[in-house]
Amino acid sequence: MLYIIGLGLSDEKDITVKGLEAVKRCERVYLESYTSILMIPKEKLEAFYGREVITATRETVELESDDILRDADKVDVAFLVVGDPLGATTHSDLILRASDLNIPTTVIHNASILTALGATGLQMYNFGQTISLPFYTETWTPESWYDRLEENLQVGMHTLVLVDIKVREQSEENMARGRLIYEPPRFMSPHTAFKQILLTETSRNPPTGTTSSSEVTEDETSTAPRSTTLLPPDQTLALSLSRIGTSTQRIIAGTLSELAALPEEEFGPPLHSVVIVGKRLHPLELEFAGRWCVGGENGAWWKVGKDVYGVEKESR
Amino acid sequence: MLSFTVAEIRELMDRPTNIRNMSVIAHVDHGKSTLTDSLVSKAGIIAGSKAGDMRFTDTRQDEIDRGITIKSTAISMYFPLDKEYISEIKQKTDGNEFLINLIDSPGHVDFSSEVTAALRVTDGALVVVDCVEGVCVQTETVLRQSLTERVRPVLIINKVDRALLELQIEKEDLYQSFCRTIESVNVIVSTYQDAALGDTQVSPDQGTVAFGSGLHGWAFSLRNFAAQYAKKFGVDKAKLLAKLWGDNYFNPKTKKWTTKNDGGLERSFNVFVLDPIFRIFDAIMNFKKDEIPTLLDKLEIKLASDEKDLEGKPLLKCVMRKYLPAGDALLEMICINLPSPVTAQKYRVETLYEGPLDDESAIGIRDCDPKGPLMVYISKMVPTSDKGRFYAFGRVFSGTVSSGPKIRIQGPNFVPGKKEDSVIKSVQRTVLMMGRTVEAIEDCPAGNIIGLVGIDQFLLKSGTLTTSETAHNLKVMKFSVSPVVQVAVECKNASDLPKLVEGLKRLSKSDPCVKTTVGENGEIIVAGAGELHLEICLNDLENDHAGVPLRKSDPVVGYRETVQMESSMIALSKSQNKHNRLYVKAEPMSEELARDIEEGRVAPRDDPKTRARYLADTYEWDVTDARKIWTFGPDTTGPNLFVDASKGVQYMNEIKDSVVAAFQWATKEGGVAEEPMRSIRFNILDCTLHADAIHRGGGQIIPTARRVCYAAQLLAKPTLQEPMFLVEIALPESAQGGVYSVMNVRRGQVFSAEQRPGTPMYTLKAYLPVSESFGFNAALREATGGQAFPQAVFDHWEPMGGDCTEKGSKVNELAVKIRTRKALKPDVPLYDHYYDKL
Repeated sequence: MLYIIGLGLSDEKDITVKGLEAVKRCERVYLESYTSILMIPKEKLEAFYGREVITATRETVELESDDILRDADKVDVAFLVVGDPLGATTHSDLILRASDLNIPTTVIHNASILTALGATGLQMYNFGQTISLPFYTETWTPESWYDRLEENLQVGMHTLVLVDIKVREQSEENMARGRLIYEPPRFMSPHTAFKQILLTETSRNPPTGTTSSSEVTEDETSTAPRSTTLLPPDQTLALSLSRIGTSTQRIIAGTLSELAALPEEEFGPPLHSVVIVGKRLHPLELEFAGRWCVGGENGAWWKVGKDVYGVEKESR
Repeated sequence: MLSFTVAEIRELMDRPTNIRNMSVIAHVDHGKSTLTDSLVSKAGIIAGSKAGDMRFTDTRQDEIDRGITIKSTAISMYFPLDKEYISEIKQKTDGNEFLINLIDSPGHVDFSSEVTAALRVTDGALVVVDCVEGVCVQTETVLRQSLTERVRPVLIINKVDRALLELQIEKEDLYQSFCRTIESVNVIVSTYQDAALGDTQVSPDQGTVAFGSGLHGWAFSLRNFAAQYAKKFGVDKAKLLAKLWGDNYFNPKTKKWTTKNDGGLERSFNVFVLDPIFRIFDAIMNFKKDEIPTLLDKLEIKLASDEKDLEGKPLLKCVMRKYLPAGDALLEMICINLPSPVTAQKYRVETLYEGPLDDESAIGIRDCDPKGPLMVYISKMVPTSDKGRFYAFGRVFSGTVSSGPKIRIQGPNFVPGKKEDSVIKSVQRTVLMMGRTVEAIEDCPAGNIIGLVGIDQFLLKSGTLTTSETAHNLKVMKFSVSPVVQVAVECKNASDLPKLVEGLKRLSKSDPCVKTTVGENGEIIVAGAGELHLEICLNDLENDHAGVPLRKSDPVVGYRETVQMESSMIALSKSQNKHNRLYVKAEPMSEELARDIEEGRVAPRDDPKTRARYLADTYEWDVTDARKIWTFGPDTTGPNLFVDASKGVQYMNEIKDSVVAAFQWATKEGGVAEEPMRSIRFNILDCTLHADAIHRGGGQIIPTARRVCYAAQLLAKPTLQEPMFLVEIALPESAQGGVYSVMNVRRGQVFSAEQRPGTPMYTLKAYLPVSESFGFNAALREATGGQAFPQAVFDHWEPMGGDCTEKGSKVNELAVKIRTRKALKPDVPLYDHYYDKL
């Protein structure tokens, strides 16, 4: 049996009782280590489970899945995934391969950022498509996420933005030479994320009066003048979510411009996510998240909420 | 004793209208370096009596030993032009003093890259042709190179003494032979007609052709004779000049010029120009002692007392040098007929500069403005006496370079606005290159050739230096030879490896053309243009740059991988996370297009629309496809293309970067034997991509794109191309049999055999596989008793036919051999190694 077990968000104790029982039964335990990371070292997990835990890198999962599936039809094998095991589509391939080999699989779910974002007070029903934001490089600034963000904004939905993490990435040169040398792990902070969002916003909707960049002509939709942008940085509310589900959890609310202006240290260590607030904002949502807003009672959060989103803090 | 001071030269540097930057170019052994000596002696750097024996510009011991030039050498000279000639200069000048920056270049084909580097920094070329041998293969090559660089040629027909002494040729025959040589030069020149450069044909009556003997130190142009006779007879110099060449006859009875040879008249050139020379030769060489003094009197030649005792050749040399001093004749021709930097940079800027022609750098270059933004092109590195350090040798095209100020050093891959391949540093010292020595100078304004100290470690081989924030690169040089002959080297003592690695870096810096690579398995490859070039490089490496004993493999040849049909089915590869699929087909590109790319006629930085039109018109490409060329490869400039032939695939432009990176890698090391690919066009037909950018980043796409290229290549009947030399062999008829038998054994193909008019010599032209060329010279010498002289230059890539994937075929065996040498799995991989099933 192949158990695919969610580990939850924070530490070794977030695993479900069912999951823990399964792990203790298993011959081999793999920990997937590249779509997300735990807040604690692997040794702590091993001590808690009383089991050796094998780290499964991207190469192991994608290229050497046979190792993981070896004998799984006879013995029990656990594949641990931080958060919810099927939260990202990435692991469906493993299940398909197991079923090709007639290996039975059991999925044990857990909390994920996709559900834990309820902590912001924003209603999960009002979220649209989730997008992820990759690290920009000098030559590579993929912007397709912006189209999907716009789609969400058009119907007034909130958007969860997952930010890039790079664990065990090879540099392009090492990749070309086939050298297995990895760059140090990098985690995108909300600081970078907001900067990148604003960068794409300006490139898609250049301030009027200046000539637009050459890219604009390729994309018909982006020739719209600035006034019609769905993402005016001063008038869009957003949240940063840091280390959700842990004891140091931190949420900061504010306008895009305010958040982008915060120093990187403000957000603390990884992991992070970002939420862009949609127009269909409920007064309770505003008030709940407003508790963490930049500038407190006099923050732009309340003013923009009132003027742009048409929602006011209910007086008590 | 120098007949000028560095201060004088420095002062002249500020007068760009009086500068002449010129290269001396020719076929090997036509006498460039010897001729250069006469010029150098004129400037007082070496004694006049030694000129002809010394080869001042051959500075290396191996150059002296072998008697050939290997490295190009620069020298700056001061020349006061006879005031009488100033009116003949058709461009702006300022006074009669001239600064001549001369570069003597090697004639052996293996070192043509040195010629390219020399031509880049000069505006004019003195083309030297052996009067007996005529225009040879390398004459043609260097002439072509100079014209594509917009370098204006003048001609000197050298070794006239040989025609007189060895061949005992008659006057009219000599005239005809001159005519033929001039005509062959003009035939080449006319195929490179360039409106911007104007008429570049050479002709004696324009003063652009000289005749002489470098060995004896004499030379003349018709201008010299015209001046002499004009004074004597009191006629107009210019009119007389025109009469001294071609079908012009002077009838002494009627004192009239005619253009018809009736009544047995002698051609004016023969009477007025050749006759005095023939008489001197006749009198001295036949020891007609009594005639000599009268003759000398008539020609107003005075001998010093110790020279009066000379006889035979030494006397001849002495007399001729006094009568027609080579230095004067040639330097006059150079000053009058070659362009100054001010003139030349006006039309050269278009071919030199990569950026827009109206930015500040372009304007600075166009005007040769010493106050403009600094633009220097470094064309090569010259070793200093300080081991491991180099002078960066180049030309200031705009601005003034001096030690101190910060300048940006831009390598060949620099893109304006980005930081890659550029560094900001300052020059430590500026020096004037004087053959074997250098002279320090304070600064150097636009239009001059200069050596820079202290920036060698920031440049690989060549590059652009600038102070302008917006400057683009000066165009990277295209070499006419490519490094096709390689050897593997290793050090005899493993502990010497760090020294060897350091030495390889220095070697690669010191030679514009040599290529050094370290393979996957640690194999070190040194590649050169030919056997001789490689031999010299390895000697330098062993004795100088690395200074450690080396073990060398037998020479091996680099091949190219190509395809012969469209992929038999669409190649598909999936990314590791299985969410992305790429569909690609490979197809052969026409040979002409591959050459267009290799020679820079179709280049990645062209305007895409113009390029698309050209491809559509010339190669019948679909215009929409032609506009969607994603990249060239390898090294983003190579002769393989990747075309986006997909229709409406979402996110396509977001994977472009990863695909481009993968394509460089795939084309550099092909799927058959990890040799570079050539002449293959890849079309990406479709893609399935994950909606989320994180799941289709470089880590997923790069390996996949590479695999799909290999699969497409292996599905398209892959084969190898082998490099071919064009060999030109000069030989007497009796040696022909020997040549043919050597050629037959070595798969060579003789395709032309012509007798040189007026000589018993034949010229054979043949194609010879580079792989069969090792020891060819020695074999030829043996088979012909040393009578045949070959010159081999890389010519083209020859498809070998057959299918590399078909076991037992010839190319498959060859591929297996290459793979074994590279310590790869010996079998050529099958396409399904890279192909993923749906």
